[in-house]
Amino acid sequence: MSLLLWITVITILISFTMSVYQTFVENRTKVMGMINLVPKGALQFKGISNVNDLVSVLGFYAVNNVIYMMVLGSIFAMVLGSNILLKEEYNKTAEFLLTKPLTRSEVFFSKLAVIILHVIMLNLVTTLAGFISMKLVQKDPFSTGAFLILSLYTLLLNILFGATGLLLSNLVKRARPITTLGIGLVLFLYFIFTLSKITESATKIGYISPFRYVGMEVTNPAYHLDIWNVVYFVGFTLLLTALSYRLYCRKDIYL
Amino acid sequence: MKNPIIDITDLSKFYGKTRGIEKVNLQITEGEIFGFVGPNGAGKSTTIRILLNLIFPTHGSATIMGMDVIRETKKIKEMVGYVPSDANAYGYMNVLEFLQYCQRFYRTNNTIQRINDLTSWFELDQKRKISDLSMGNRKKVAIVQSLIHQPRLLILDEPTTGLDPLMQAKFFELLRLENQRGMTIFFSSHILNEVQLLCKRVAVIKEGKIIQLEDIENLRRKQLKKVIVEFGDDRTIENINMPGIVNLTLLQGNRLSFMYSGEIHELITFLAEKKISDLTIEEPSLEEIFMHYYK
Repeated sequence: MSLLLWITVITILISFTMSVYQTFVENRTKVMGMINLVPKGALQFKGISNVNDLVSVLGFYAVNNVIYMMVLGSIFAMVLGSNILLKEEYNKTAEFLLTKPLTRSEVFFSKLAVIILHVIMLNLVTTLAGFISMKLVQKDPFSTGAFLILSLYTLLLNILFGATGLLLSNLVKRARPITTLGIGLVLFLYFIFTLSKITESATKIGYISPFRYVGMEVTNPAYHLDIWNVVYFVGFTLLLTALSYRLYCRKDIYL
Repeated sequence: MKNPIIDITDLSKFYGKTRGIEKVNLQITEGEIFGFVGPNGAGKSTTIRILLNLIFPTHGSATIMGMDVIRETKKIKEMVGYVPSDANAYGYMNVLEFLQYCQRFYRTNNTIQRINDLTSWFELDQKRKISDLSMGNRKKVAIVQSLIHQPRLLILDEPTTGLDPLMQAKFFELLRLENQRGMTIFFSSHILNEVQLLCKRVAVIKEGKIIQLEDIENLRRKQLKKVIVEFGDDRTIENINMPGIVNLTLLQGNRLSFMYSGEIHELITFLAEKKISDLTIEEPSLEEIFMHYYK
């Protein structure tokens, strides 16, 4: 699916969700009453650890748009990463591309650059859409710094999934099931993350999910960019990319 | 003998336990048109894909123009053109866009003129989208892209699939012209007639191993003879058993045919003991010679 289509869909979803914010605030008492009837576990599953977070525009944005920005963005990156090299094989165009005067390294890094560029473009536009939407519906000012930190986490998460997709594509010999496998992996890791939040006994399992390392507490005044989380994202991205590179440079291209 | 442009030494490729090729040795001289013949699955494409660094050998080595096909693949590919057996270019491009895209990979002074010359030779419409082209026209695009940088070595893997006979003839004419200008051609095919038409030397590959490496003319002159015998007594047929006789086939009545490799006088002596009523010994066709090696 093209980048433009993904940008359009996510932007529409974000804008639509944020348009509900004003109605939400105007009917705050009624809505909060209803929300309080919902079991705590169900709220946590939705990413709401404190219902009062929903009152601030940034809290509302973080809770409601996580699924679009993080999950859909990660699926986009995963699908792109897992298909960008493999599609040359299953479309049999690798026989043209790889028989031109190029090294495997050059092919790999140019494809990697395309993944990173596409993920940055997607994040840039959807983040801008989120920012404009919040500005349009806000009742009180919100912290731009916190918003940018959340956006940076989202970008790092998406890039990590892009690198995961790239690695997956180098581990399989046949291309066809890779998209389903990639999407399944993103959803599984998101499920693990939410499960770890609602079930105390499953807290530890949450650490295997990259979603766990995205700081979501944007309404907390002490909210900041955790350098160790950044190290986690950058480190794993580099590790997976290095592994993919090593595999791709030694891989038999099946046609 | 001149320095080989392709030098393959003990090259093997196994896909797990499945054999691709086994201990292939081959030297191809600069300037020749070399045929690489074998049935489907014999290992022709595997050999070519190792030369182009699409796959890695399990054992052995190969060089092109003295350069290792793994370590110096980029340098090699600057001087090599390749036509794959399945011609799938980028479908969203039109013919001209694709050819210009291909041309950009090479440090060449070629201009649009080379593309124009080649597309007009093959009667290709440059504005047609590749996804809209027939199989034959896609093949033409694949051939043109392999020639746009005037390579020193052209590797062709089943290049005539999809081409009509007239276009095949034009293609061969172009190959001969390019060969006269110095281009070496490595021509892989399972169609024997086209190899016979074009190549001077041929390697026959069977079940991953080179079983014959010959000049086409030598191959024709081999001792192999096609023999057709008619017996007066049908009981004799059961007794046709001597070294050198293969492909024994019963024809009509008491007639049978076989291929014989060995001394003719030994065959005549052997047959003289039988009650034969007719005997024909003839040169086998190239097809029959190859079938003899395939079986």
